[in-house]
Amino acid sequence: MGSRRRNLFVLLFVIGLVVVSGLIIANKETKLGLDLQGGLELVYQGQTTRAGEEVSGEDIDDSISIIERRINELGVSEPEVARLGQDEITVSLPGVTDARRAEEQVGSTAQLYYYDWQANLIGPEKVIAGNPGLQPPAGALKASEKRWEDAERPTTNELVKQLVFAGAYPTAYEAAQLAAEQEPVENCEECSVARPRYYLFEKAEPHDLIAGPELAKKDLYVSPTGEKRPKNGTVVEVPPGTIVVSEYPTNEAGELDESIEPGWYALKDEPALSGNDITDPEQSYGPNNEPLVSFGFTDDGQAAFQEVTRRIAQRGQANAIGPVSGEEAEQLSHHFAVILENEVKTRPIINFAENPDGIDGRTGAQISGGFQNLQEAQDLATTLQIGALPINLKLISQTQVSATLGSEALDQGITAALIGLALAILFLVAYYRFLGLIATIALLAYGVIFFALINLIPITLTLPGIAGLVLTIGVAADSNIVIFERIKEEVRAGRSMSSAIAAGYRHGISTIIDANVLTLLTAFILFVLATAGVKGFAFTLGVGTIVSLLTAVVFTQALLGNMGRSRLLRSRSALGASGEGKKWTFDFIGASRWFFSMSGVILLIGGFALATKQLNFGIDFESGTRIKVALEQPTDEEGVRDALEEAGVAADGEIQQVDDPNLGDNVFQIQSHQLEPGEVRKAEAALIDEFGVEQDGFDSTSVGPTFGQQVADSAITALIFSLLVICGYIALRFEPKFAIPVLIAILHDVLITAGVYSLTGKEVSSGTVAAFLTILGYSIYDTIIVFDRIRENIPRMPRAAFSQIVNRSMSDVLTRSLAAGFTTLLGVTSLMIFGGAVLQDFAFAMLVGIASGTYSSIFIASPVLTAWKEREPGFIRRRARIAEMEGGRVPAYADEIEMAKLSRDDEPEVVSSPSAAAPAAQAEPGAVATVERTETGNGVGSLGDGDDEGAENGDGDAESAERRQRNAERRARRKARRKHGRR
Amino acid sequence: MALLVFFIMGIALWHFTVFVPDRFWQGIVGAFVGAVFGSVIFGWIVQSASGKSMGDTDLSTALIAVPGTLIGLAVVYAIGMRSEEHPG
Repeated sequence: MGSRRRNLFVLLFVIGLVVVSGLIIANKETKLGLDLQGGLELVYQGQTTRAGEEVSGEDIDDSISIIERRINELGVSEPEVARLGQDEITVSLPGVTDARRAEEQVGSTAQLYYYDWQANLIGPEKVIAGNPGLQPPAGALKASEKRWEDAERPTTNELVKQLVFAGAYPTAYEAAQLAAEQEPVENCEECSVARPRYYLFEKAEPHDLIAGPELAKKDLYVSPTGEKRPKNGTVVEVPPGTIVVSEYPTNEAGELDESIEPGWYALKDEPALSGNDITDPEQSYGPNNEPLVSFGFTDDGQAAFQEVTRRIAQRGQANAIGPVSGEEAEQLSHHFAVILENEVKTRPIINFAENPDGIDGRTGAQISGGFQNLQEAQDLATTLQIGALPINLKLISQTQVSATLGSEALDQGITAALIGLALAILFLVAYYRFLGLIATIALLAYGVIFFALINLIPITLTLPGIAGLVLTIGVAADSNIVIFERIKEEVRAGRSMSSAIAAGYRHGISTIIDANVLTLLTAFILFVLATAGVKGFAFTLGVGTIVSLLTAVVFTQALLGNMGRSRLLRSRSALGASGEGKKWTFDFIGASRWFFSMSGVILLIGGFALATKQLNFGIDFESGTRIKVALEQPTDEEGVRDALEEAGVAADGEIQQVDDPNLGDNVFQIQSHQLEPGEVRKAEAALIDEFGVEQDGFDSTSVGPTFGQQVADSAITALIFSLLVICGYIALRFEPKFAIPVLIAILHDVLITAGVYSLTGKEVSSGTVAAFLTILGYSIYDTIIVFDRIRENIPRMPRAAFSQIVNRSMSDVLTRSLAAGFTTLLGVTSLMIFGGAVLQDFAFAMLVGIASGTYSSIFIASPVLTAWKEREPGFIRRRARIAEMEGGRVPAYADEIEMAKLSRDDEPEVVSSPSAAAPAAQAEPGAVATVERTETGNGVGSLGDGDDEGAENGDGDAESAERRQRNAERRARRKARRKHGRR
Repeated sequence: MALLVFFIMGIALWHFTVFVPDRFWQGIVGAFVGAVFGSVIFGWIVQSASGKSMGDTDLSTALIAVPGTLIGLAVVYAIGMRSEEHPG
């Protein structure tokens, strides 16, 4: 296929793609993330209850399937349930506001267990309650009553008395102590939990329960209540084979009465049946219209149910002496207990008079009396219908976003993205004229195709995703800038337009591919390793980078290729390529010691700031709860604090009024230790009562310590992997010595950013880290472009010192670096100004990253590379020879010595460099790479490894003198030409 | 956090090695390695010996890194000089 036909084909293909994309955008809605439409996000960590086993992928997949079915019952539209890492599940529920109900429905294990109650009771409680209907031994009863009195739970209370006669302990500590004394049952397959469980109690009496049961001891201190937990509390380990359960007394209506604290029991963990043995659970009503849950049994369940109820009935029968009345039989009958989540839901008797042979499992069974309201019974029935989770789920993070705040964030994000795009277009057109127009068409095509892909895949668009989108606009524009600068160079070197375009793309493409591959790799690492919120950012960036390669490189090449001979492209000024262009003559390497010093001072300041002020980590890392609320009535921080305290919400942190005109004049942000869902609701209710809350004006985020630690770990892992991958890629594409300066430059950027964040006190969130990590990939774009040009210039300048090669290379690409950096900064600045709070957070990280990255690629990476490469024997000899020729000094830029050589390379663009020799006279000795290295052990005369050995071996003093003479004559001629106004 | 402070101080001081004759083992990159390892290892030893946790930082944490960095740089410089005097 000829190039003209290929270009036409590409053009038609992209135009077709844009049309199809337009149709997709018109017909398919964009899927918005929770942060843009409001809702609830829950993150759970899976924990297995089986001994010696880890949570498997199958467990997580099964749990996801069950959670999805539970959510369907909640009636949530477009929920998302996804696996996160190895053992976590993230649940996004758009539009959900009742966090507590959602949490109970989604994350409860919901595994019911059925116990033969009296047979499993252990310890003194069995002495008291082991034989219902018979008077318990007086001594045991008296001891029990004393325990209750000691626990300040007077037995005069009827409900307490009920618990005393049931043999319960007044505190969890006593029941747990009893359970802890039992022999462990190893590899217990019948147990509900085959692993030890841990409880944390207050050290001081009465040893209040602080946390538990947990499957891992460390979880006692990091469980999501967020309260400060005493490290010196008493930990009790309950061995497998025994469980601790609680039970509330029942009132006259037979319902659980939660007005008092429950009683506690230790039980042998030998359930007769489990929730797996039941079928068709449904919510129904009892004779007194009370809500209950009825269900049937599987075949195995029927047999097991009949068997256990028969055993219970026979034990009751054995207590009866002779014939008994129905009422006596009821009192003498033993119990059957239904336990859910370590709580007795119901404990009916098995009346031996009515069911002497047990209860026929075919008639099913029911749970009654254990519900506070109809909704609770309905939820339990639904949960039982769907089935139990195969693992325990521990809630480690919860975020609730109001619809208003989400919509506001979306508007701000779109505004910022559009303004960023418009500014980038304005700059491109102003600077590159016609080429800028081509870039604009490419950017618009990019925007349409990319947005269609977002709708088509679909990519859930989140705030971090919008930040990624804005960044990809910069990436796309940068690709164009790299090529356009090369085209301008070729045009200025005298090539025809079509040849300049071809050469520009040929030279630019490898640079762009290198840079884009690194951006893609960073995005990929972030996507794989980062937490949920960051994934959207990484995915958007990755897809955007690929699309930008199509539109900014392939499409523009086809467009320009077709127009190469058109009149529009004949004028150099129409391309912004009139004149000789800006030739930088600055001695970058010579001045680098001063830039090194500047960086050193900045880092020292950063180091002292970090040591004294540390970093202001957000709740993503530190855990806690953040509430943003828009109040109807004006108040101040104290007013909000008082309202919360009156409601009993322990918001111990910072309360501050924040400026958010979109939400009104009375917007407050409350930061505290992590509040439980119930407390968040209490806080909302208190604020509504006291001041009124604007419609959808309540927004909360809770992050548990486990999740915070995980965010930090994933950030560090992503950083390390990014560095390794970037270094590996550069070592492969360039040479290993090029990788180390890049690594040093990246560390320099990371530390400067850390210092800036410490100094400014700005909050470091997971988004900040993600934005910065991605910027690293993007900012080494500059380094790659400088290094690419160095690699290109090394064989072209076989007699130049390495510092001269680097100076020349940086001079060649500095305009591009500044133009690209400026275009990206336009987008980032737009985010800073128009993007709203969250995007501003991203933008600040990007701003610091871009500034530091651009600076370090020029003033850190290249000088380090120079200093290192100049130690190579070949370059040592070159320096020595140049110094000898130039009277002991090494000029910053190579003069006609290599220019003469270059003229034989048939490379027009580097032949003319009128100002190249000018700075030579001003170059200062002693800079990083221009320091004379006469002291080194690898000095003149050692064996060379350069590619220029052959060229250098014939040099001698006579030749040097001849060259000096020739150069002096050329300088004189040039000076004369300048004097007469000719170039 | 203390390790981060040692690290940043080591790298900060490394920047000033451009004013020292380049006789470090492996040049500027060797100096980088010496500065970083010196500051982090010395800082870690002193921090541990003083009974402070690695999470606690104050002005002294930053200052601790200075002698560590200088020791690290001196070691790398000495190795560099030695290898110049005894090449191979």
